[in-house]
Amino acid sequence: MGKSYVAGTLESSDCLITLSPADKLKIEIDTVVHEAFYDHIKTLIEKTLAEESLENVRLRCQDQGALDYTIKARLKTAILKYKESEDG
Amino acid sequence: MARTYLFIPGNVPRMLQNADVFEADALIIDLEDAIATYEKDEARELTAQFLRAHRPQGVEVYVRINAEEPLFSKDMKALAPLEIDGVVLPKTTLSSLKAYEAYQDQFDAKLPLIGLIETPEAFFELLQIAKFSLVKGLILGAEDLSAATGMHRDENGQELLFCRSKLLLAAKAAGIRAIDTPWTTLEEASLSLDIQSAKRLGFDGKCAIHPNQVPSINDAFFPTEEELRKARRIVKRHEETNSMRFSLDGKMVDKPVVEKAKALLESAEAYRFKRGKGQ
Repeated sequence: MGKSYVAGTLESSDCLITLSPADKLKIEIDTVVHEAFYDHIKTLIEKTLAEESLENVRLRCQDQGALDYTIKARLKTAILKYKESEDG
Repeated sequence: MARTYLFIPGNVPRMLQNADVFEADALIIDLEDAIATYEKDEARELTAQFLRAHRPQGVEVYVRINAEEPLFSKDMKALAPLEIDGVVLPKTTLSSLKAYEAYQDQFDAKLPLIGLIETPEAFFELLQIAKFSLVKGLILGAEDLSAATGMHRDENGQELLFCRSKLLLAAKAAGIRAIDTPWTTLEEASLSLDIQSAKRLGFDGKCAIHPNQVPSINDAFFPTEEELRKARRIVKRHEETNSMRFSLDGKMVDKPVVEKAKALLESAEAYRFKRGKGQ
């Protein structure tokens, strides 16, 4: 298994995103608001990954009730770290 | 005109999204000292996404950026498309202002800034800094200044008198805001003494490093009933006499006093309107 790239925290209103290389896209979401927001969070993550043209990754989102802007920001930062490492 | 400038760390979602309930007149979202080096990218991205989606309303919003490269360019690039009232530039000097202006010119931008005056060097070029075109205010940064000079702060503020006075005079000469340094403990009595030192000198507002400090600063910089009563009488007499020079209670009143009274009434009205404070 390759290196992991992490952004965010497990504090309230935040989320911890962990990203690592994989053969295909795999998304895991642990959220305190699973019933109401699982699909919404998944769509947001898929959309952000598509914007960043990232496909073959394993992504884990540990959500502590984060709003969309936080999930997007943490994901984009993890992607930035991933891309910088890949480029470097 | 803002009274309280509340620092909020740029990497804590629960603080950012509650920032507008603390009743500060201005927020300074911090990407600099409150953020560890390894968290800079996270804080910048979180701040940018937050301001894009949920910019607090009814409050001025500033972002304290990092002054050193490559963080400076990264911060500026992230902030450029956002609706903010300006940036706070740490360790402002004439040379850092010129670098800031050059960066702005590159992108044909004119984002104003508040200069954070916290190095001994800056005090020798303060008037030029205050009159620099993009500068809309000066904040005294006493903690970094203390570290640089060996100054020891206490709640009486005698050690800061020269620096506060010099910054205040430069800001007033340039017609920009003079904003006092934060007080770094949460103990109410010492905070109150520190606020009064700044207010007596003529500062327009003060920084806060914790939401609990906001009510004390807001109240202190809201004019007292006695100040309001006096200002109303001055303006009333000015209107009755249609003159900028008259006698009131045995004292001469002239143009600067009338203008100060008018400004005081206007700012009181603005604060009341903003927060629904009583008559």
